[in-house]
Amino acid sequence: MAKARPIPGLSGEMRYSDAAIATIAVRSDELFEYAAGVLDLTQIEAVHAMRVATRRLRSVLEFYEPCLESEQLEPILEQVCDLADVLGQRRDPDVELEALAGFAAAASEVERPGIERFIGRTSEQQQQANAELAQMLGQIEADDLRGRLAALIAPSPVVEPVAEAEAAPGEEHSATTAGGEQLATAADETAAPPVKSGWLRRR
Amino acid sequence: MKAVKVKGLDPDGTLADNAQRVVAARLDQLYDFVPAVLDPRRVKKLHNMRIAAKRLRYVLEVTSADCFGPYALTATKRVCELQDLLGEIHDCDIQLPRVQQIRAELSEDAVAELARRAGGAADLDPALASRLAHSEDWAGLAALEHYLTVRRGLLYDRFTTLWQDIERSAMRARLEYAIAERPSLAASDIETTATTQ
Repeated sequence: MAKARPIPGLSGEMRYSDAAIATIAVRSDELFEYAAGVLDLTQIEAVHAMRVATRRLRSVLEFYEPCLESEQLEPILEQVCDLADVLGQRRDPDVELEALAGFAAAASEVERPGIERFIGRTSEQQQQANAELAQMLGQIEADDLRGRLAALIAPSPVVEPVAEAEAAPGEEHSATTAGGEQLATAADETAAPPVKSGWLRRR
Repeated sequence: MKAVKVKGLDPDGTLADNAQRVVAARLDQLYDFVPAVLDPRRVKKLHNMRIAAKRLRYVLEVTSADCFGPYALTATKRVCELQDLLGEIHDCDIQLPRVQQIRAELSEDAVAELARRAGGAADLDPALASRLAHSEDWAGLAALEHYLTVRRGLLYDRFTTLWQDIERSAMRARLEYAIAERPSLAASDIETTATTQ
């Protein structure tokens, strides 16, 4: 099984919500890296690696749930769970066929037809699961799961400053630090709250 | 099986403090399946225990080295071992009914063919039961069913042994202790701290 990649810079003392960004970024990358070759029935380890990556991603999304915007998280989590299910449906016959090949090799002539019948059924199941997986991968691409995962952990966009022409002389603008943190100003208190995305909304 | 909702998590708190709460909850959920799983017939419970082990393992995988005391890494390995073994038991629990279903389907076909062969006879000639449809498949399917049944039993025995080991080694108490610990500063960090003071 592919080892989980270490999370750069992760420490117990860092803020939970900062750890969420670091961890989800790595686990998302892992998932999409393993997508290559996953539909090749002769490369069964690719499915396994992607399935494990999906589980790891799902687990961290659940773990960091309090740091994430639930409206964004829920559909992502649902799609990751669906992907995990479809990968599991492909993985089960993969493993079974591998074990059955060994079993058939050790069987006597008289036992072989029955085992081959079972292998035939399992192969049909594998083909069907592969077709479902292909469909799911297409859906993920169409829904831009990768982009949505990136948006889930993206910092809040900087609020557009009020156009100079519209601003009254001497009116204070909202300001942004080098780190992207928005500084509260007197004008902010009366303005509509800035639209934020992802995990920052809860902060 | 849904993950237990963990209360009291704080996005502005430290990763270690939040992870401690989550690991404690996942650990409790794992142990909730005992003693039910000590009955080999509790297939669903064994499956759910595997999911609970998986949830605990993946959280520990991210946090054990950076957030907790050294035993957390040992516990991660034990939980991983447990999850793998429960996974193999689950594979047998899925495969066995499929083999039995094929045997049942083929048996139905054979019975229907025998009934056709009998026609409207008042009694059945034993010779008619010879070389029925799929008769060549029986030996292999029976061998497979027996293999899976016995393998499942052996794997289950390994599971009970592993669980006894886990209990004897007091994994729960030691992990609870480890998640309350925080990794000590590395020697280089201590030197840096000393020189800057």
